[in-house]
Amino acid sequence: MTTNHQTSAPTKAPAKAPAKPSWLKVTYDQKKVDKMTDLLKGLKLNTVCAEANCPNLGECFGSGSASFIILGPNCTRACRFCDIPHGHPKDVDLLEPLRVAQATKKLGLTHVVVTSVDRDDLPDLGADQFVRTIHAIKKLNPKTTIEVLTPDFQGREDCLDKVIAAGPDVFNHNMETVRRVTPLVRNRATYDTSLHVLDYVKKHAPKNMYVKTGIMLGLGEKDEEVYQLMDDLRAIDVDFLTIGQYVQPGPKNYTLREWVPMSRYQEYYKQAMKRGFKFVASSPLVRSSYKAKEELEAVENK
Amino acid sequence: MIKEVHMPKLSPKSDQYFFGKWDKQPGDSVKTGDVLFEVETEKAISQVESQEDGTLKAQKVATGDTTKVGDLVATIEVA
Repeated sequence: MTTNHQTSAPTKAPAKAPAKPSWLKVTYDQKKVDKMTDLLKGLKLNTVCAEANCPNLGECFGSGSASFIILGPNCTRACRFCDIPHGHPKDVDLLEPLRVAQATKKLGLTHVVVTSVDRDDLPDLGADQFVRTIHAIKKLNPKTTIEVLTPDFQGREDCLDKVIAAGPDVFNHNMETVRRVTPLVRNRATYDTSLHVLDYVKKHAPKNMYVKTGIMLGLGEKDEEVYQLMDDLRAIDVDFLTIGQYVQPGPKNYTLREWVPMSRYQEYYKQAMKRGFKFVASSPLVRSSYKAKEELEAVENK
Repeated sequence: MIKEVHMPKLSPKSDQYFFGKWDKQPGDSVKTGDVLFEVETEKAISQVESQEDGTLKAQKVATGDTTKVGDLVATIEVA
């Protein structure tokens, strides 16, 4: 593989955090954000937007869109890139699925993204709550398309079967990074388990269910490692790929290696499209669920 | 009438931010939706928009200051 540029990704942590680039500028309309925050609080719902302190929160909340995180707010894993609290998990709230469905209706969402924290403490690893949530959303919002962003369920196929059977429109599970960097940033999750999850879902899901994954850049990955990941994903026929910039949540998290220049996002976009993904989003502020609705529409209207 | 501009909550996780820079100077006219100033939070540089139409009267914080949610940031003269 030849590319026009040299990989300069430093693999060692820099001594001082580099200044934030200008594309991290986001607008913020407090009135709109407050309105959304109040609605979500009223329904006692968590969003990955707020829990992970997403830079796109102002834009998404401002336009009335949000991604729900169920079974939280505490996660049983402590991945080094992540801002979601690691701690003792709470009891499963059996009314949460209904509230997600109600919020979807209140916000008039035509596409809804549901993700969860990891629940290694539960016998079903949280799969049943995904199923209940999908069913509740469908009942109250029959026209809304549903995207799930799931944990690896420790690779357990019975969990994957349940979620597939509930019939989301998009099944997303994030690889997060290239093979070499995975053990440096993920906790109890492996590259091969995540590949297996995507492979299993693709093989067992109906043809009209899209399989999606995402990675972060700026963790010290190299071009050839990213291309290897793309090849691994296409070998199992993954449909959608999202690529965005890692932003270090705090001083205790995995140290940001670099702000990846836009030219590399563009090159990765080209390389990914060449490999046959149905849809690729590659830009610094892209997150797994960022503009997920537009993504699905783009593919469906092709 | 003078309206006070207070630091909004820009990050669900923290209440203390670095003040970035001013986009409006005292005497400038401002409209609702105009970017007044930029603040650096952990994960973003937030551009805060004016909620008022009027004239920026005074800046109460400067670049590099640490500001807390609710702090007085500016005053705007509203007609």
